[in-house]
Amino acid sequence: MLMVRAFVRPEKKDVILGSLSEAGFHAATVIDVVGRGKQQGIKIGELIYDEIPKSLILVGIEEDARDQVVDIIIKNSKTGEFGAFGDGKIFITKLEEVYTVSSGKTGL
Amino acid sequence: MKEVMAVIRMDKVNPTKKALLEVGIPGFSAISVMGRGKLVNDPSVITERKKTILALGRSTDDKVAEKMVVEFLDGTRLFPRRLFTVLVRDEEVARTVDAIIRVNRTENKVGDGKIFILPFDEAIRIRTGDTGNSAL
Repeated sequence: MLMVRAFVRPEKKDVILGSLSEAGFHAATVIDVVGRGKQQGIKIGELIYDEIPKSLILVGIEEDARDQVVDIIIKNSKTGEFGAFGDGKIFITKLEEVYTVSSGKTGL
Repeated sequence: MKEVMAVIRMDKVNPTKKALLEVGIPGFSAISVMGRGKLVNDPSVITERKKTILALGRSTDDKVAEKMVVEFLDGTRLFPRRLFTVLVRDEEVARTVDAIIRVNRTENKVGDGKIFILPFDEAIRIRTGDTGNSAL
């Protein structure tokens, strides 16, 4: 199993969650975060904004769904056809075990 | 070393803290998150809860209120939860999971949360520079 962590624009959050749900990945956790990326934030004249608000979406998936989920997130979080700086990043880590509290069962 | 991420009910934060302490895991981080789980396809699971929550409101035949409550209960919309992150040694994973499950289970059948266990490579205590298990 894999844990997908996607940093996306907050305004794209609902579209991404909607598409994930349609594709059968309904469960997700969303956290509001601030951060900066490779462009070192946004520079406007002398001012630097390096705490840019983003939404962090956490989704637990099976390994064979990896490409599909990544595709869905990228497709829906891109700005325009070619994308723009600040569209976000996706990190994928291994997920060893999952427990559901109500039933105590393992697995997603 | 393992990272245990548990998404739990907001009102179970204190019991969880206490239970973790009892099994010898004092350290944790917690943040407020919004989340949703699997869709509840069987309406009978949430019938009782729907009645209880609607009874808290002023009118019970309000369609808008009912729609909101149903969406909240069946997981169509995001609802608030607390995300606990606990870093533990390999041999402590089982009792951490047991403790969390024990105090977080309710009679509501759904919405009690999920526990994710992820591997991580290194932990470093900033004060001393200790690494590995002794830094946890």
